[in-house]
Amino acid sequence: MKILAIAFKDVARSFRSPFTLALMLGAPLLITALLYFAFGGPATSGSGFQLPKTRVQVANLDQPNQQASGLAAGQLLVDSLQAKDVANLVQVTRAPDEVSARAAVEDRKADVAIIIPPNFGAVAVSPAAHAAITLYQDPTLTVGPGIVKGLVDQFVDGFAGDKIATEVVAAQLSKRGVSMDMATTQRVAMDYAAWLQGARHYQSGTSALVTLNPRAPAGAPDRGNEVKTMTGSVMAGMMIFFAFFMGANSAESIIREDEEGTLARLFTTPTSRTVILGGKLVSVFLTLAIQIAMLLVAAIVLFGTHWGDSLAVTLSAIGLVAAAAGFGVLIMSFIKNTRQAGPVMGGLLAIMGMLGGLFTSTIPNAPTVLDAVSLATPHGWAMRCWKIALNGGTAGDVFSSFAVLASMGALFFAVGVVLFRKRFA
Amino acid sequence: MRVIDLALKDLCQILRDRKAALFLVIMPLTFTFFFGMVSGGFGRAEDPRLPVGLVEHDQGSILSTGLENLLKASDTVRPVLLEKDKADEADELVRTEKLAGAVIVPAGFSEQVLRGQAVGLTFIANGDTSAGKMAGRGVQAAVSRLLGAVETARLSAETLEGKAAFESDAARQAYVEEALGLANEAWLKPPITTTTEKARGTLRGREDGTNDGLLQASPGMIVQFAVFGLVTSAMVFVVERKSKTLQRLLTTPISRAGIIAGHVLAMFTVAFLQIMLLVIVGQFVFGVDYLREPLAILLMAAALALWAAALGLLIGAVSKAEDQVVTWSLIAMFVFAAMGGAWFPLEVTGRAFATVGHFMPTAWAMDGLQNIVLRGLDFGSVLMPAAILTGYAAAFFALALWRFRFE
Repeated sequence: MKILAIAFKDVARSFRSPFTLALMLGAPLLITALLYFAFGGPATSGSGFQLPKTRVQVANLDQPNQQASGLAAGQLLVDSLQAKDVANLVQVTRAPDEVSARAAVEDRKADVAIIIPPNFGAVAVSPAAHAAITLYQDPTLTVGPGIVKGLVDQFVDGFAGDKIATEVVAAQLSKRGVSMDMATTQRVAMDYAAWLQGARHYQSGTSALVTLNPRAPAGAPDRGNEVKTMTGSVMAGMMIFFAFFMGANSAESIIREDEEGTLARLFTTPTSRTVILGGKLVSVFLTLAIQIAMLLVAAIVLFGTHWGDSLAVTLSAIGLVAAAAGFGVLIMSFIKNTRQAGPVMGGLLAIMGMLGGLFTSTIPNAPTVLDAVSLATPHGWAMRCWKIALNGGTAGDVFSSFAVLASMGALFFAVGVVLFRKRFA
Repeated sequence: MRVIDLALKDLCQILRDRKAALFLVIMPLTFTFFFGMVSGGFGRAEDPRLPVGLVEHDQGSILSTGLENLLKASDTVRPVLLEKDKADEADELVRTEKLAGAVIVPAGFSEQVLRGQAVGLTFIANGDTSAGKMAGRGVQAAVSRLLGAVETARLSAETLEGKAAFESDAARQAYVEEALGLANEAWLKPPITTTTEKARGTLRGREDGTNDGLLQASPGMIVQFAVFGLVTSAMVFVVERKSKTLQRLLTTPISRAGIIAGHVLAMFTVAFLQIMLLVIVGQFVFGVDYLREPLAILLMAAALALWAAALGLLIGAVSKAEDQVVTWSLIAMFVFAAMGGAWFPLEVTGRAFATVGHFMPTAWAMDGLQNIVLRGLDFGSVLMPAAILTGYAAAFFALALWRFRFE
């Protein structure tokens, strides 16, 4: 009972401190909320989320081609960028020439300049000719120019396909001694264009002949939308980071009480040292368990996070509590005073969290070496557990990572306890 | 003179604290290196395109091979061939995010398409991840090109038939396959392409294209840790208020304004030295060319340090205990760094967030620093960001002075 009384006293002390509450709950929720709202927040479930409009200046140097019945290919591209269905993404203005279009980007009056070359339309009817449209962009931007490139590529692919079609037909006929006259060339080009038009009307831009049927991987959970998925990963990373932080912070109470002299006073009471230290260590586990339970619920309520299978989540949470508590006790067993504790908690835990992949879980296609590095830290194993749960894994899928994490926690805890007992023997 | 003495006392006090080296130097450098590496700032030996599994139940057929080649030529995705008998593995690899997506080509795909029968390609992806969406667009583009080739072959055969009939079905089949081969080959080097150039001002032609990640990470971490560094310098106020040193200072001939000025001067100096140290390391270790415009970088460092000092004074004014300094510094760092574009460019966020973000002083600090290192602009380009940062510094000073208490 005395163990629990000491533990509850420490837990109550933690939850009465605004500073501790800020680090335990406020910071992880604040960071996640910032990212949640940055990437659309609740608006992503409706039509409220809008990327900033990309300002585009187009320098169309192309002239209607008389050889191709006055084809104004450059103008067609400009028209496609000014179509109603993309008006919410790009804001197009005309530039008189290439120099002023480029200058607009350099002066930050435009995000992207599109330079349509003079031979753009002529390429359609000139065998072996090649044309390149230049996108000149603000180097600090990625998404807006990416959207513009996607739109231009789609148009250009249609145009290139037309040219490839006429050239392939011409080459094959020529090989068989049949010459291709202008009327045939135009018919092939028009038939291809008509096919393309029909194909683009079809869902996802492919024709009915071949459809790309997207489906979620078997066993993947329905996580709502991209922002909820991202928020789940970010929240897991922050929860792990601040759990390890709180593990160390709670374990620091032993050192704090030692410095303040209250630990020595406790040792004079009819309570064994083992019970006193045991109570303090139990408080670390209790504090972490409450912190993680509150964060899990808060994420569901605030961000609609789908944590996954309840057993997998429970195992991940137990593993995290064990590892964070064990690690906190271990590092504090090496610390001599509270002055040393600050840099260790601020520096070591931040660097380990970074190596454990807690801050980079949402970066697509990150270098694979990071995966290997992350598993050298308990943070990396904890993240692995939560990722499996978030991705729809079962308790069985989580178990091996949980076992490693819990074993690490037990080992850290055992070493930390031995060192503390030696110190206070 | 007394102001300078007071500032020197603070500086000694801050620099004697071992935490200062950690928070002011080691952590920002470690974070810059790490985030630069993660975002490909040091170049990458691996193929940066998203991995997409390809399960070919129609292996060796002309369309299956064509699709594989078009995926190989994609800018967005790279195919990872999976064994036919391990198709179930594709689901698992996508679910666990080891692959961004997977395409399953059914048996008889080529034959059915060439006969004009509709065929579905299964595309497995986590549609609620950005990698899954990007992979979908990459695969879609390749499939569209493949269909363009099929249509080309159909048109070619139809055109020849209009002039002379094929001798046999086999001859027609051979003709179509020849057309498909030609069209697929042509798609690997399309006659019309798009090229992207970045407006790099005077940096044009000097960029090697490998350090874009660092050009975001390095200025971002300078801005973030200019705020977080206040943990050490703003602490002095609280320590002096608690130990009654501030009150005792009032009994000396130094004025109230002089005491505040001395502390602010120390905070400014710490922030300025920290920024310049990170600039120099950024220049010579990470290859971020800050010093191409030395006057511009000095002006930005001074303006950012001035704002940070004003923020430090405000934190010192509102904090009653050491732990409150840490809490306020952390909150300021999270809010100003995230919303000002130090963690990620504001253009990737929603319209509302980006608009609010541009009102943050940190957004102007990022703007000024990136004008130098990323846009390759000259001294004139930092005047506006520096002026706005100075304006924010004045506003924060005014707020801090209003809240400041000596006891």
